[in-house]
Amino acid sequence: MRTWKRNLLAVPILLWIGLLVGIPMLLVVALSFLSRDHLGNIVYQFTLDNWRKVVDPIYLRVFWNSLLMALLTALITLLVGYPVAYITSNLSPRRRALSLGLIMLPFWISSLLRTYGWMILLGNAGVINNVLMALGLIERPLPMMYKFGTSLVGTAYMLLPFMIVAVFNSVDKLDRSLLEASYDLGASRWKTFFHITIPLTLPGIVGGFTLVFIPALGLYFVSDLLGGGNTVFLGNLIHTLATRGRNRPLAAAFSLGMVALALMVLAFYWKVTKDKTGEGLFQ
Amino acid sequence: MRDKTSRFGVFYLSLFFVMLYLPVLSVVLYSFNASSSTAQWTGWSLEWYRQLFRDRTIGQAFRTSIQVAVLTAILSAVLGTFTAVVSMWVSARMKKALQGIMILPLIVPEVALGVSLLFFFNALRLPFGILTLVLSHSLFCVPYVYIMVRLRLAEIDASIIESALDLGASTWQMVRTIILPLVAPSIVTAALLCLAMSLDDVIISTYMSGPRSTTLPVHVFSMMRVGVTPKVNALCTLILVGTFFIIGVSQLITKKRRFAK
Repeated sequence: MRTWKRNLLAVPILLWIGLLVGIPMLLVVALSFLSRDHLGNIVYQFTLDNWRKVVDPIYLRVFWNSLLMALLTALITLLVGYPVAYITSNLSPRRRALSLGLIMLPFWISSLLRTYGWMILLGNAGVINNVLMALGLIERPLPMMYKFGTSLVGTAYMLLPFMIVAVFNSVDKLDRSLLEASYDLGASRWKTFFHITIPLTLPGIVGGFTLVFIPALGLYFVSDLLGGGNTVFLGNLIHTLATRGRNRPLAAAFSLGMVALALMVLAFYWKVTKDKTGEGLFQ
Repeated sequence: MRDKTSRFGVFYLSLFFVMLYLPVLSVVLYSFNASSSTAQWTGWSLEWYRQLFRDRTIGQAFRTSIQVAVLTAILSAVLGTFTAVVSMWVSARMKKALQGIMILPLIVPEVALGVSLLFFFNALRLPFGILTLVLSHSLFCVPYVYIMVRLRLAEIDASIIESALDLGASTWQMVRTIILPLVAPSIVTAALLCLAMSLDDVIISTYMSGPRSTTLPVHVFSMMRVGVTPKVNALCTLILVGTFFIIGVSQLITKKRRFAK
């Protein structure tokens, strides 16, 4: 068979993605330039109003909240997850398999359940407050729910396994003899870590960063349940605008803003890892 | 290999796993609390499970979720495997393009994907329900099947394929009798992952659910927004048990494959 004939086999897949991702995304772009009437119906009239709102200082604040949330989530998951991945790769085969299993298991556990678990732990009548009061350390419950930090804890907790798996794949490939060589040449543990280990596992770090950052922008059910809507994030705003708010053109503009943030991180990933197809992210 | 981990390492790892599973265990534990508040433990009770089984809305949402998940898993298994197998034949450039395209649904933020599909299906006047749910769920499931099957295909000895073709098998015969049986365990594992992901999805489902076809997570989310009630704990615990059942099946399939080698 000729090459182009064989390539015809790929047409159904291209059509499928084109129909469910390509066209809908183009629709979003078009919609972001349209107006709406008082009832929320779309009016076919060109306007830049939606984009003007996106760069309005009030709404820019929402971008900032989401950006901060995604960056801090990536940072926390890296700081907590890197040692986990590193220690796991050094374990004996049996314990290593057990550790990996325990790291991957949360992927399967309902994400709502995992968020709800924090409501049980952190609530005013929650487990942590109960324990602290029973121990006599505090007299009245510490208010821990409905803060930016609460959403951050929940989001980081949700995405931690992605970071660990990405970093683990890199750490596991690390040639340990390079570390030995560094020690033999008189470098300290820290020096070896920062000059050898970190640079060599950078692809995993950047991959994990990307895998955590993108969903962290939009996990609105976590910030809704744990943050109580006290801080407005992009995900919550888009959700409200597209459903109850009945302002689809504005929701479209903000969605594209979110896609732009995701693309920024992807560009960074491509630049560092040279992995053009992004396949390395999901292996 | 000798265990090179320091005591501190083991301590850190143990502490990490305690923190990782503490929220999950708390949910399970408090589903058996007789009191309706987490403020105190007043003894063991199955009252909340009893209330759960009397709730018709939850039963309906559960049925919708199962239907959607099964259909999604089947559709995704077929499309994902097709893509992986086809990418063995197409030109190198098309192969690269397919790789990039398959990653697309995974890197576009889910909220943006959900909103875009909401507008699209709305424009098509497609009624929101099982169909829209299955189509949208398959979007983030197919890439996983594709990746898992492709990884398995890469392990297959190319000479087996060549000799089959040399001996006069047609391409389709070769795919059916050699490739598909070899990748079958991967397909099943991937399909089970799709089942779990579809059953768990909140973000896209919120936009795709119809008035009479709410999925279980969308319903659970609305229950959770009201606050902590042991009924939600009981429901979450049952979902967890269901999930472990799926994992058990998938483990069994992987184990079988290992023994077969």
